[in-house]
Amino acid sequence: MRLAGVQKHYGNLHVLKDIDLDVARGEVVVVIGPSGAGKSTLCRAINRLETIDEGEILLDGQPLPQEGKGLARLRADVGMVFQSFNLFAHKTVLENVTLGPIKVRKKSKAEAEARAKELLERVGVAHQAAKYPAQLSGGQQQRVAIARALAMDPKVMLFDEPTSALDPEMIKEVLDVMVDLAERGMTMIVVTHEMGFARTAANRVVFMADGAIVETTNPEKFFTNPESDRAKDFLGKILKH
Amino acid sequence: MRRMKLGMAAVAVLLAGSLTACGEAGDDDNEGVDVDVKEDAAEDFDEGTRMRELAEEGKVTIGVKFDQPGLGFKGATDDAPSGFDVEMGKILAADLGIDPENIEWKETISDNREPFLEAGEVDLVLATYSITPERRAVVGQAGPYYVTGQQLLVRADSDIDSLDDIRGTEVCSVTGSTSLENIKAEGATPRGFDTYSECVSQVLDGAVDAMTTDGAILLGYAAEQPDDLKVVVEPFSEERYGVGYSLDHPEMCEWINETIEESFENGQWEEAFNLTLGEAGVETPEQPELDPCPAS
Amino acid sequence: MEAVFSNFGEYLDAFGVTLALFAVSGLASMVLGLVLATMRVGPVSVLRGAAGLYVTVFRNTPLLVIFIFMAVAAPKLGYTFRFVEDVEIAGWNVSAYFTRACIALTLYTSAFVCEGIRSGVNSVQLGQAEAARAVGMTFLQSMRHVILPQAGRAVIPPLASVQIALAKNTSVAAVFGMAEATATMRAFNNNYADQRVQIFLLFALGYIVIVEIISFGSHMLERRAKVA
Repeated sequence: MRLAGVQKHYGNLHVLKDIDLDVARGEVVVVIGPSGAGKSTLCRAINRLETIDEGEILLDGQPLPQEGKGLARLRADVGMVFQSFNLFAHKTVLENVTLGPIKVRKKSKAEAEARAKELLERVGVAHQAAKYPAQLSGGQQQRVAIARALAMDPKVMLFDEPTSALDPEMIKEVLDVMVDLAERGMTMIVVTHEMGFARTAANRVVFMADGAIVETTNPEKFFTNPESDRAKDFLGKILKH
Repeated sequence: MRRMKLGMAAVAVLLAGSLTACGEAGDDDNEGVDVDVKEDAAEDFDEGTRMRELAEEGKVTIGVKFDQPGLGFKGATDDAPSGFDVEMGKILAADLGIDPENIEWKETISDNREPFLEAGEVDLVLATYSITPERRAVVGQAGPYYVTGQQLLVRADSDIDSLDDIRGTEVCSVTGSTSLENIKAEGATPRGFDTYSECVSQVLDGAVDAMTTDGAILLGYAAEQPDDLKVVVEPFSEERYGVGYSLDHPEMCEWINETIEESFENGQWEEAFNLTLGEAGVETPEQPELDPCPAS
Repeated sequence: MEAVFSNFGEYLDAFGVTLALFAVSGLASMVLGLVLATMRVGPVSVLRGAAGLYVTVFRNTPLLVIFIFMAVAAPKLGYTFRFVEDVEIAGWNVSAYFTRACIALTLYTSAFVCEGIRSGVNSVQLGQAEAARAVGMTFLQSMRHVILPQAGRAVIPPLASVQIALAKNTSVAAVFGMAEATATMRAFNNNYADQRVQIFLLFALGYIVIVEIISFGSHMLERRAKVA
């Protein structure tokens, strides 16, 4: 996956400034930065939930289609996990995971359900399959959301602050699933404030501020000896407590 | 395709004009009958009668139709309505010593004639008001001053020329009118509209096969467009137009009948007819026989 | 009372026509309204604009004017729709008048249906649509499987109001050639001038029954949607 010269404006606000980023297959990239840095926008731009003004985004060497069926196909290959879970409120947990495979991948119901149960097992919520999202805790919902994304057999997984809306005691159960996923070789782009996850799972850390990528480095170096003043300042603020 | 091109323009004109479409019909600036307005008319009526009150007030309110050329019609730009009903109203008012300009003309439609009389909104109704027993149960109806009958108005090229021909066709008239009921009984599908002018345009456009109502009204329309329309079949109903008054004032009946009778004799009735329906080509009918007033 | 009871067959026929107008226009307006709403919230700007224009035109035009257009203007332009009279459905011939009345009612009502559905769609959290898109659903798939089912409950009360208004709006057809309830009421009034009040009350009762049935139906649907 490659982003080249990506620009985006909201009116006068320049939210993505000339973003270049390459992510190799199987690589886990964690995007870190102060709020308002454009991390979420970057993440959403990758599957075109946000449009971009300039530049290009390539997946497997192919540019993102503008709209229509082609775009839908691309999105099917890019899994997305949202901060607020966004499980389909009117569907059971199992249906949440099977809806995409059945409607988009045209899998049979039986096949989709078998795979869904396997994935729900893997993220540890198999016994909740018949419940509706509102009956689950935040951590359980987010794990279902991960299963839902995985059910599409994506080439890349995008995580947009997946633990920010969770109570502290639930963060770990979600991070454990993500670490497991990273260890299985999934290509991941993760926007997060979880430094622990960045340290253990990331191959690379991208530090963003004011819409631009300030620094790209390995986690060890980033946390011990960041190059930029912005990063030092940021780490100083969050690691003090 | 030619029609298509004219489409939008025609629609605009039509939407603007549909309610005033028959405007030309009322523009025949005739002054109407020369009525002799009686002087000191109040003296002629007994104390306590409604006629005396009206004569003393010097004002009367008369309900007429505003949408029937030749009978009661008021175009958008007209000051006062015109037509046979209107002229008869003037003749009645003159007997009370009231000038035509002191008559207040109020539009009555078929639905509100009885309520207007009952509530005293109008003193008299001359609005193609057919005499029926049901109506006489709630209001007074003196007369008749005119007898007409239901006929059919069709396109000039129509094959319809007998009542048998309308079985299974669609026939237009005013929603809720007796004419529509009658035509239904004859086996046609009734198509009710709000006004006669809309019905005429339905006939002209081929949306219905015929229009039906009292012959006098149809002849008025046919006279306006003799190339496109014709009136067919002999009258197949009898509509006797009466003068409506409130049952609170039963004494009015005798007065109305006497005044109509007088107009038969002095030629004003015929003059009124000739100036209105006569102009549209309707032959002057025989003077109808008046119903006796109910014993009070 | 006697005026209505001695002509009870006519009374029922009249409400039969009212119900037929309501049923056909109601169904057609729901379908057209759904299509319009989908266009209006969809990603194609031309369709969005067209649906917006439609709503602006037909929601802001009095129903009477649309009727005048269909019943008076269209025949003037040569569109009498009389060809539908050759169509026979279950031994019953559709009349051009019925067709034109249904078209007028549908054109008008579907603008309100569209707005009702749109308000329901707007009540569904944006995240639901994003999640649907993120698993690769097309716009139509996300509408059908994710958005509309969730909009359903929010949509029932406004659509019930729209359909109730339609049931009563069928009365406009009374002066455009349909012998429905209001036209028949006027005929009864004309024939039985001495029973106006009773006639009015009995016809009002007919409409009240129809509207009550619609609102009862909508309550049932709402309750079912609440359980799900």
